[in-house]
This record gives sequence, structure tokens and C-alpha cells, in this order.
Amino acid sequence: MAQPLTTASVPTDIYGGDEVSALVLDAGYCSTRAGFAGEDVPKSVLPSFYGSIKDTNAASGSRNVFGEDYLFARPDFEIKNYMSRTESVVEDWDTAVQVWESMLLDRLQPERRQTQPSKNGLNDGADGEGDVSMEDAAISAENAENAEKPLAESPLLMTEAPWNQGKAREKAIEIAMENWGCPAFWLSRTPVCAAFAAGKASALVVDVGGANTSVTAVHDGMILKRSIQKSHVGGIWLSNQIRSMFDSSDPKIEVRPSYMIESKVPVDAGAPSQAVLRKLNYELHPSYRAYEDERLLTEYKESVVEVWRGPGRYSNPGNEDLVKTQPGRIFEMPDGSNQMWREQRFRVSEGMWDETAQLPTASEEERITKAQTVPELIRACLNAVDVDLRPNLLGNIVVTGGTSLLNGFNDRLNNELMAMYPGMRVKLHAAGLTTERRFGAWIGGSILASLGTFHQMWISKKEYDENGAGIVEKRCK
Amino acid sequence: MTSHDVREMLNLPNEGGGSRPAKKQKTSIARQNLKGLAREVQNLGGDNPIAIVPEISSFKKRRFGSRKPAARWEMRPFRNSARGDESLILRHWRRKTDVQPPTAPQPDQQQNGQPDEDKMDADNGESKPEEMEDSSFAKFNVKVDVPQYSEDQYNSTLANKDWTKDETDYLMEAVRDYDLRWPIIWDRYDYQSKDGDASTDANTAVVQARKPRTLEDLKARYYEVAAKMMAVQRPVQYMNQAEYNLHEIMTSFKPEDEIRRKKFAEAQMGRSKEEAREEESLLLEVRRILARTEKFNQERRELYNRLDYPTTETTQDLSTFKTSNGLHTLLQNLMTADKSKKRKSLMGTADGQSTPASAGPSAQPGSTPLAEQRRESIAASASGHGHGRHDSTASTADARPEKPTKKGAQPPERRKLTEQEELTYGVSTHDRLPSGPTFRYDRINKILTTKSNAQHARITNTLNELDVPARLTMPTKAVVDQMEHLLINIQTLLDLKKLSDKFDAEIKLEKAKKAEKDKAAGIVPQPAAAESATKGNSNGETAKVNGAAKKDGKKAGGEAATSSTEKPAAGEGANGDKDTPQEGASKHRLTSLLVTVRGRTMKMPLPKKPKIKMLRMGSSKRLAPGKKRMRDLAAVADKSALQAY
Repeated sequence: MAQPLTTASVPTDIYGGDEVSALVLDAGYCSTRAGFAGEDVPKSVLPSFYGSIKDTNAASGSRNVFGEDYLFARPDFEIKNYMSRTESVVEDWDTAVQVWESMLLDRLQPERRQTQPSKNGLNDGADGEGDVSMEDAAISAENAENAEKPLAESPLLMTEAPWNQGKAREKAIEIAMENWGCPAFWLSRTPVCAAFAAGKASALVVDVGGANTSVTAVHDGMILKRSIQKSHVGGIWLSNQIRSMFDSSDPKIEVRPSYMIESKVPVDAGAPSQAVLRKLNYELHPSYRAYEDERLLTEYKESVVEVWRGPGRYSNPGNEDLVKTQPGRIFEMPDGSNQMWREQRFRVSEGMWDETAQLPTASEEERITKAQTVPELIRACLNAVDVDLRPNLLGNIVVTGGTSLLNGFNDRLNNELMAMYPGMRVKLHAAGLTTERRFGAWIGGSILASLGTFHQMWISKKEYDENGAGIVEKRCK
Repeated sequence: MTSHDVREMLNLPNEGGGSRPAKKQKTSIARQNLKGLAREVQNLGGDNPIAIVPEISSFKKRRFGSRKPAARWEMRPFRNSARGDESLILRHWRRKTDVQPPTAPQPDQQQNGQPDEDKMDADNGESKPEEMEDSSFAKFNVKVDVPQYSEDQYNSTLANKDWTKDETDYLMEAVRDYDLRWPIIWDRYDYQSKDGDASTDANTAVVQARKPRTLEDLKARYYEVAAKMMAVQRPVQYMNQAEYNLHEIMTSFKPEDEIRRKKFAEAQMGRSKEEAREEESLLLEVRRILARTEKFNQERRELYNRLDYPTTETTQDLSTFKTSNGLHTLLQNLMTADKSKKRKSLMGTADGQSTPASAGPSAQPGSTPLAEQRRESIAASASGHGHGRHDSTASTADARPEKPTKKGAQPPERRKLTEQEELTYGVSTHDRLPSGPTFRYDRINKILTTKSNAQHARITNTLNELDVPARLTMPTKAVVDQMEHLLINIQTLLDLKKLSDKFDAEIKLEKAKKAEKDKAAGIVPQPAAAESATKGNSNGETAKVNGAAKKDGKKAGGEAATSSTEKPAAGEGANGDKDTPQEGASKHRLTSLLVTVRGRTMKMPLPKKPKIKMLRMGSSKRLAPGKKRMRDLAAVADKSALQAY
């Protein structure tokens, strides 16, 4: 998929690219993306959730496994996330380093491992599962002690949430410089990257991600800090809405992910499931169930949930009746129960736009206020920037993030904005490809890091050595 | 199946279809030749084969036979001179150049050596720092110029009670950092004064309440500093155009206006769709109306000029014309205007309303009492009369001095030409023109042809004598005028000559008679005595001379002797007498005329001065005795008249 350009000629004069084999790392709450600059999709996409296995026989306590392939049901297994749900910034730095190393070092540079068979996890023999995942901090520490640093060849570009704090930023450059020995480093904000991915230097970036939705104004490749708006309306919030809907539906719908199912038989629509459940002879940590539930609900979101396209709200009289007359969608749960979804699939997503339409949630903090709905975020963001910029921003709205892939999202957003700013020209720019929408920030970072004009921006190792970690605050504004 | 085929089948003679098989053959041949060409393209050529050299199809060449060795690429280090430090050395793939002296091994500028050195070993021999290439993108690095100032300069020129030096420095720093992108500067502007900083550091004191700076504050301060520093570096009067303009723009920055404009822009954003649409349509309407009024005004002005519309603009009330008096004046105005309409030029559309006639009463404000208005309109109509005529003479537009002064500064419609200019431009004024075109020399001919043949011959003789051709070679207006004049003078001259000849003859006769009488009397009396002696039997001729003399001397005494039949002669005599002083002048003029006429006609190379003089002398000589004699006669007549009492 990510075919680099043929190397017969280096078309620097065409798009100003000048690749220096940089790496790009984009960490989010739901997934972490890493790849080579200049490519159009990240080579490695891992969930930011990781598995922590309690070692019964070792004194080290626990070891972590990374990657979807290793997140399966097993005893003494807990699913954790190294990112913070509310902020989408790194929470657990130790694990973050492990996750990133497993991606940048092992998955992106497999030949490195082959040259050092003694260092890879294959020959450890600690577990018989053939686990190729990164082992633990011990190995990375060992690597660090080695004469050569693992990333001495590649400049590294990392993205961060626009509200990321100074300490976290300094930590990032420290890791890159000290642990990995990167020759150059840069920290870029996700909205800026998303705007670059859409080919714009100035844009209003609406990033509807897994844990958060953020709206940020970008002007000439820099975010406007006062304009940053954030809300937890995102993929996980939507999952909770779906759970709430399942709970309140008349025969209560059980969410049973596929690991629980031993076997299933087809049943009629609306009929109760007749599946045989799998019996586990050990106790499973609830976090694993939650993780698996989330995966199931993601599938449901992808295939069923739709956004009322407008104009007007879904709760306006007549709209629901109209939806009822139209064909619905059938979704079959892993346990075999299936159902046609018509108006409900619109109802769950309506809370993003209209706080009065949201379904009751389990916890109070899940509730969103009016200010947290997507249109209000945009309004607040625009009100925080200079008046002269607003028309331009409205004409360059970049929609990115996986949750923005909901059917009808863009239409609704467009309608809401047209209603909010009737006299203005509103233009949405949303990538058509799913990958481009999901990895918007990474792609932007990939473009940025492969530009010839970007070479002067990098923070070099020497500069870091001279100025310390504080340089990141000075340079990456 | 074609007719040709049918003919062939039926063995009918082939007529005109001979070319057909050949044609077909041709195309088929062409088709064969042009294999690989699309049929449609081939058909474009019709009968003529397409002039394309067909590709020769042959087997593929052997791939590796003539192939060059694969191009070698290398991971070449480079630096970027746009960077602040020059230490960062990045590496990118570049095609290996052929001429490459294998030199010293890789110097150790790479901080951490290279893991894949074994691969690169052969290639990276050339990466010495001095010959390391610079990034081709370094040239794109540009920086903004931010004014610099020293402590002294700040204190002397830039001090501002609203801004500390510290904060100004901070602002300049931000401007440099963000390359004059004001939205970002404003967004990131977070100045904390020194003491405020200290307190936050200590986490003890409350952070001072700072006045939030608006974008306009920042801009205003920056422009102030920049403009002043510009002026310090080079005084305003020595700046070149670009610098001056920049300085001008910066000094004229008004934050209040900006704020007002932004408020307005914000209000604009909040408009509803209907409002926006309505506003747009209103704007459109206004633009349309404006465009139309312009056109309408233009048309109206043109119409006024065409009509020579005498009074009132549409805005004026019509009360002036409501009375019969007013209507009358209007009628008069229109009539005069109508009369002069044809000659009225359509020029001067720009100040069309300034034609004095039309501006008459309308210029008076409507607040004046009605009576006065009426008076005004009457006056205007009167002026219209005078004016219309004046216009028709096409000379000066502002003939009436009191009217324009009353109305204020209204420029005259036409420039008044001086006499010199009139001459230059050939402008002339006429009270009345005959209809139709005429030849100028017709005027001369007319004078001549109306005369009797004898007279005509005499005039021609005189002209010949004067060396003026009877037929003008170039009858310009001036020449014709002078010629006319000349002819009239010649006429007078001839008349006088005739008269004087007559007198001469009479005098001779009288003298002869007297001589006879004297002979008879045998004595020689004094002339006066003789005259008085002959008083009693003086004939009608002397009486006539007497009468003439008497009239001339304003002695309107009883002249019973004068008969009615003699009057014309007496008149003639008187005329002749009267003309004598003029005669000299006219003579004089005649000569000068001749010069001009000669000069204009210029058949002769030179004006014959001596001849003219002679002529003058001759004529005066010829006239002088007559005059003298007449005076004598008059004196005699007087005497005899007195004696008659």
C-alpha cells in the first residue's frame, strides 16, 4: 500500500520533498501509529491498550504485551492503556516508552532484530507462546547501554495533543534523545498535522477521535492556543450511548463479545440468542471484557450507527417517522442474536449535536453539556480567534478522526454550520479514504517530516545537549 | 451492392464508375501499410493515405544486452545552512556521481557511527565537511526585519506610558518569533512583568492583574516603534517612495478604526441568511439605481441641450407658470429658444445647465416670494429674448453682464474671441445671411455688372491704371472686402472727376463769354466787378452754383432763383464739395488698400509705389484746381448773393 516513489528520479522540485529517513510517531488514546516519513499510511498501528501479564514465577511482577494479536483471554491478564482517557496525553511514561520502542524499533526495523538475535524476545524462552512482542524495560535498558543507540539513524517526529503540557513535552524529547539517540527530533501538534494532511496551512481542524473531540484553529501552520476546544464526545462516549440504548431496549440486549461464545446457532431477528457460552476455568479481569466490548461496539458503530443528516435536529417532529419508513440495518451479535435497527441508530449519535437528545448515561461525568456538543465547540473556537480569520477558517474546515467516519457526520456538520453562520461560506474538507481520516495526524506528520524545507526546523541532538529538554518549549511552539 | 456491381452483372457499359475499384484497392493497400493505426484515424485520411511512417514491428530486443549497469545510489550526508547550528547532518539518498576520488575514510561527524556501515562502506568516502553539500532548501529560509533599538533610543523616542521597555522587548521578540503573524502573536502573547514573574515563581503572591492586550494594542505599539525607528534611521524627508509609503501607513494606523471595523465584521457574521440575502439584493438595487441615474442624467442633459430648454429644472415648483403672465413668459422663452434652436450647438454637455437662458429663474431658491419669482421670470424671459438673438449671432454667450453676476459664477458658454482671434479663425458675424451658398467674387461682379457699360469700362480702365486685375485671383474674404471698398471708391472718384470736368467746361464757357463781353465793352474790368456786373444776367448755372455755395455755407437765405430742376445738380455739387475733405482721406485709404489688394492678389511682384504716388499726386492735382475754383466760385456767389439784397 505504501509504495514509495520510484527512485529513478528524485522529484524534489515537484513537491519539495527531501527524505532523510525520518520516523513519525502519533500516539492517541485508542491507537498509536508509527511509520516512515514520506509514506501515506503508518506501517505500524497498535492499540494503545496493552496487556499486562502478572508473572507468577518471576519476581519482576508483570510484563507487558503490545499489539492486538496478544490481547486475548488468558489468566492474570489485565488490559491497560498508557494514555489518559480525558486528555489523550501520555499517562504512563514507562509503558509508553515500551510501546513506542516495540513499534519504532521492532516493527519498523525488523532487520535490527535479526542482527541481534540474542537481544530479541524470541530466544528468551520465558513463555512458550512464541510471543514476538517487545519484552520489557530490561531489554530497552540494555539497548540503551549498548554503544549504539537504536534510532541514531533516524530523526523522529512525534505528535502531541494541542493541550499537551510542558513537562510531558520535555519528557518526550528526553526519551527520543537520551534513550534512542535520535539525531533530530520534532514535536508537532495533531491539528497542525491534520491540516497539513489536508494540504492546508490554515484551517479549522475538527478532530473527532476515540476519546476526545477537539476543535482547533490553525493559522499558518501554528495552532491558536486560545481557540482550543475539547470535549469527550468521541468514540467511547458514543459506545456508552449505545450501551445505554441496549440496556433500555425492551428485551435488554446483552453485549457479549466473541471470546465468550463457544458456538452459536442462527436465530430469527429479535429472537433471543441460543448460543453456547464458553466456560473459562480462570477468572478474567473485567478490563479485558471492557476492551472486548469496546471492540464489538466499534463494529456496531461502523456498520449501524448513522448521524441524522439534517437540516434541523433529529428530534424535530416528523424526522423520526421518516426514518422509520426507511430501510434499517441488521446487525448480528457474536452470540447470534440479530435485529433490525432503524430509528435507534440515529438516536445514539444525536447527542453529539443536541445535548437534550443524549441518552441517559451511567456516570454523570459522561453527560455532555450544551457547550460540549460539536457545533458549540466550533462556535467557541471561532469566537476565540480574531474576527479577520473567521471567514477563512470557516471556508477551510478539516474534519479528521475515526469517529468522523460515522455515516452522515459531514452532512450534519455542514448543515449545522450553515445554520449557525448563514451568511458565510462554509466548506468542509474531509478525506474520502478511511485510512486518511483515521490517520490524518500521522499522514500530516509524514508529509512534514519528508519536506526539504523542514530540515531547518529539527531540534538537533547538539542543540538538545546544549540547551537541555527546555528547548522543545522554545522551538516547537 | 452498388450500381457498379449491378452494371457488371447485367453487362451494362460502365459509365463513370471506372475509378471505383481502383479507389478500393488504394484504401486496402493503405490499410495494410498502416497497421497499428486505429481504423478511425486511418479513415480520416479518406482516399489519401495518411503520411505516417508505419512502425516497424519486430521482436523485442534482448533486455540485458545493451543495458548499462544499474545506477548507484548512496546515502549522502548534507547540512542545511538555514539552521541556526550547523551541526545537524542528515542523510538522504542521492545518485552516486561517477567522478569520485576514493579518499580518506569517513570522518566521525556522525555522532553515533553507522549501523549499516558495511553496506555503505564503498560509497561514503567523500563526506568531508568542507565538501558536504548544502540543502537546496536552505534558500527558502527568510526572516522578517524587526526594528532594533538601543536603550538610549528607547528612552528618547519610544517611551510610552502604556508600555514598559520590557514589554516592548517582549513584543518585538514575539514579532520576530512568529514572523509578523499577528493572530498568532496575539494568541500567544503572554507577557508577565518582572515582579509578576517573581511572584509566580515564588508561588506566594497573587499574580498581578495584567491588562489584556488586544490585537490592536499590539499592532499599534509595534507600528509606532517601527515607524519611529524608521524615522530615526532616516528622516522622513530623505526616505524614498517605498519607505515613505511604509512609514505613512504605519503612522496612520488607527486602532480605534480597526476595532470598529472588527465589530462590524463580527456583526456581519451574525447575520441570518435572509438578512444577508436582503442586504445583497439591496446593494444590487442601489448599484443599479446609481448606474441608471447616471445614464438618465446624461440623457436628460442631452435632451435639454437639444431643446434648448429655457427654464426650470424638474425640482423647481411649477408655481411660476401657473399664472397667465408666467405662461406667457414661458411661451416667449420657448419661442426664442425655438428660433435659435437650429444654430444652437450641442456642445457643452458637461455644463448643460449653465446655459444662461435655462438657468434664469431656476437658480433662484424656492424660498423667494412668488411675486419676486414672477418678476424674475419676466426678467429672465426678457433676457432670453436678448440672449436668443445674441446666441444666434454665435459670438459671445454672456452678453448680459448683470445676469450672470446675479446668478453667481456661471462660466460663459463660449469663449469670447478677440478680434485678432476672430481673424485668425475666420469667424465672422452676420446680421442676416442670404440663403444658399454664393461665390465671393459674385459680389464684385455684382457691383460691376449693375453699372452701365460706359461706367463699367471706366472702372475697368481705372483698375487697369491701378494695375489691379478686374478678376480677383484669390478672392478671400479680406480681399473681396477691400476690392469692394476699392470699387466703391473708384466709383466716387469717377463721379467726382465727372463733376469737376463739368465745372471746368462751364468755367471755360463763362470765361469765353466774358472775354466776348469784354471785347465788346473794350475795357478790362476786375473780375469781381465783372462778376457783380454780370449779376443781373447771371444765368441758371451761376444761380445753381450760388445755391450750392449758399447751402454749403449754411446760408439758407431766400433763394428764389433756385429752380427745382437745378436741385439735383446743386445736390451733386454740394456732395462733391462735402466729399472733398473725405476725398483726401479716401484717397489715402485707396492707396493703402491698393497695397493690400496688390499684396494679396500679388500678380505683380512689387507694389508700384511710385505709380501710386503719381496717382495720388495726379488726382489731387486734378482735383485741386476744381476745388479752388469752386471755392472761388462760392465766394463770388456769396458776394453776388449779398449784392442781390
